[in-house]
Amino acid sequence: MTRGKKIGIIFSIALIISGIGYLALGNFGKNLVYFFTPSEVVALSPDYYGKKVRVGGMVVKGSLKVIPSSLKLTFELTDGRATIPVAFEGVPPDLFKEGQGAVVEGYWDEQKQFHSSLIMAKHSEDYMPIELQKAGVQLPKKDLLKTLQ
Amino acid sequence: MFIEIGHFAVITALVLSLVGIVTPILGLNTKNPAWVRIARQAITVNFFLISTGIASLIYAYLTHDYSVMYVASTSNSKLPVFYKVAGLWGGHEGSLLLWVWILTTFCMIAAWLHWKTQPAVMPYLLAVESLVVFGFLSLIVFLSSPFERLYPVPVDGKDLNPLLQDPAMVVHPPMLYFGYVGFSIPFAFAMAALLSGRLGEEWIKATQRWTLFAWMCLTTGILMGGYWAYYELGWGGYWGWDPVENASFMPWLVGTAFLHSVMVQEKRKMFKVWNLFLIILTFSLSLIGTFLVRSGVLSSVHTFATDPGRGLYILIFLTIILTLGFGTLILRSGKLKSQIEMDSIVSKESIFLFNNLFFLVAAATVFLGTLYPLLVETLEFQKVSVGPPYYNAVFMPVAMGLILLMGIGPYIPWRKASLENLKRIFLVPTLTALGVGILFALLGIRNAYALVGLVVVFFVLFAILLDFGKVSALFIRRDGVNVLSGIYRAFTHNQRRYAGIITHLGVLVMTVGIIASTIYQIERVVFMKPGDELQLKAYTFKFLGTHEVQGPNWVAQEGIFNVYQGERFITQMRPQKRIYTVSQTPTTESAIYTVNMGHIFLTMPETSHEGGVTVRGLINPLVLWVWYGGAIMGLGVFLNIFRPRRREAFVPAPVSIEPDVALNMPGPRRSG
Repeated sequence: MTRGKKIGIIFSIALIISGIGYLALGNFGKNLVYFFTPSEVVALSPDYYGKKVRVGGMVVKGSLKVIPSSLKLTFELTDGRATIPVAFEGVPPDLFKEGQGAVVEGYWDEQKQFHSSLIMAKHSEDYMPIELQKAGVQLPKKDLLKTLQ
Repeated sequence: MFIEIGHFAVITALVLSLVGIVTPILGLNTKNPAWVRIARQAITVNFFLISTGIASLIYAYLTHDYSVMYVASTSNSKLPVFYKVAGLWGGHEGSLLLWVWILTTFCMIAAWLHWKTQPAVMPYLLAVESLVVFGFLSLIVFLSSPFERLYPVPVDGKDLNPLLQDPAMVVHPPMLYFGYVGFSIPFAFAMAALLSGRLGEEWIKATQRWTLFAWMCLTTGILMGGYWAYYELGWGGYWGWDPVENASFMPWLVGTAFLHSVMVQEKRKMFKVWNLFLIILTFSLSLIGTFLVRSGVLSSVHTFATDPGRGLYILIFLTIILTLGFGTLILRSGKLKSQIEMDSIVSKESIFLFNNLFFLVAAATVFLGTLYPLLVETLEFQKVSVGPPYYNAVFMPVAMGLILLMGIGPYIPWRKASLENLKRIFLVPTLTALGVGILFALLGIRNAYALVGLVVVFFVLFAILLDFGKVSALFIRRDGVNVLSGIYRAFTHNQRRYAGIITHLGVLVMTVGIIASTIYQIERVVFMKPGDELQLKAYTFKFLGTHEVQGPNWVAQEGIFNVYQGERFITQMRPQKRIYTVSQTPTTESAIYTVNMGHIFLTMPETSHEGGVTVRGLINPLVLWVWYGGAIMGLGVFLNIFRPRRREAFVPAPVSIEPDVALNMPGPRRSG
């Protein structure tokens, strides 16, 4: 194999890698979504207002209100230290209910209001977002036996 | 009582797997074949022991023994029998046991199947496989035992997660595991080749069918997962770049690269180190995939918060396997200089090279997106996730590139293609595909991705047809037979090649399905009261109201929708909102109506409003092509695995010797 051919192959490999690399890295930063707990959200700097973030917490019991004849609902999300109001429009997942953990995606604004159109579905009803557990939130430990009786 | 027997059997299996690691090494050192025999017996006995463990659990499921904690948390007495058995892999502990059971099954089959034909490989194969078995069994026995008892004994089980009570979901995890575990055999053969110094093409030829089998299972498993997500989660999509989907997709990408690049080694004795690297990487990613899914490392719809001990153990085990695999490769790769170099960039070799490049870069981008959040979390204590647009932006062009190569690779000659060759092979497909592209543009397809995608698909299709047509014509003329038997002869004369081409056709069908059902999908979410109408393209949905339906272990609100196309009534659709009574878990059951191989997809995600419901309507054109394509791909691989061994007849049959003799033979390149 001549030098020229080798250079040709190496050149095309480099071209492909840099092309895809450009696409990957160019889109990477744009699509990073940060995860916060409600107490982190209330302390967010104005830079983050309007930016897409995810928030994990517990849906406060008694806070869920469905706005009649619409796809809108409002509820409060807490991590035990802070509570934020969430205005949601769209389709909540099956397992979304009061007193359960949920992760919402959306943005926080100057009015101290969280707007969301996506709530994450969870597979199990005793699912608790792992991030939440790490953040030191203790869900009420559901006694396996109690739920069975 | 039975459960204790099962538990004890699995503990014994753990001890025996240690025997399986140590004895082959002793056999190699003392050149005493009896040791290798012991390892084979250990693996065989292990299969029966772990089967006992599984049987004891299934017995517990069937007899409603809820004193077993795992059974209590994944089953219920009202569950249909089918799902009672499937409860075994409905959670972390049971899935691991199933994994290791499949592993011992495959390993036992491989040991007996290749015992005489691959004697030199056998000690290494047994030791490597036993090591993996040992790793899994110690995780099961020490950290996540499905045999633990629960006291006091609950009256009834907690029920299997309703979302998992679905036929596709019952088959999906075992299929994935067949795929993951299937790759362990070529991996063990590769390790054996590296360790024994027999670095020829032998290991690749011996494991060809294993690789194809693993790939077929993994592909089926991934597609079933997509199908399940499509209709069971009620979201109307089949792929969401969820970390867990990615975890199964990474070994698939690298495995597919491996499947292709071994052909270069077989035909041209090139890419030797590369192939070893690929299979080690594939199996490592399979292990990572298995662990990521339920270890709780990744936050995803599939994972559950679990104890950190498991995570740490898994990390250590992975490190050992990775170090062993790649370490041996690095130490031995010096001996593996390809004697032959590439002749030209315009050749089959270089197309294979680019195929591999695309697959690996794709795997790397998925890896980055999946594991970057973990890295950030560890280093910066920040939590992030990577959104689907990142993957889509990277994957669209990569997939297009790969599909384009499908139209070039099989037809371009080895070594060096002349301009004359290229013209003869590619001029017609290129021109026809461009013509089809212009036609589609005139018909009103304006989306750039769709247009480019279709042109590429048709280019490949024409290249396939042109080549196969030429070969068939040759047979028709030479043998003077009719068209059908000409095609049959053309196919069977090189079944390996044309079975592969069928798989490529499946990819084309799937690509069209994906393009149509994503780019031309129509979605609307609305609030509806009885009497309201929803308009989606040519279809009108009239909401009549809801009523209550009673199932075996659920109750549901069922919505009734009359669907009209223009003025004409075509069907009635009845989506449900179910509550599974035992666990009080709600699920959304979609109603699907098939038109022209596409779907009208209706769900009713919210029924708790007063006087109305939330309705989500989707039109997914040609979505069935995604699964038809998958089935065609599977058929291709099936025909490939079970092709008649005609060609091998010319090769002298492998000398049948027992490892007894092989152990005493000097390894061919061991000293050099």
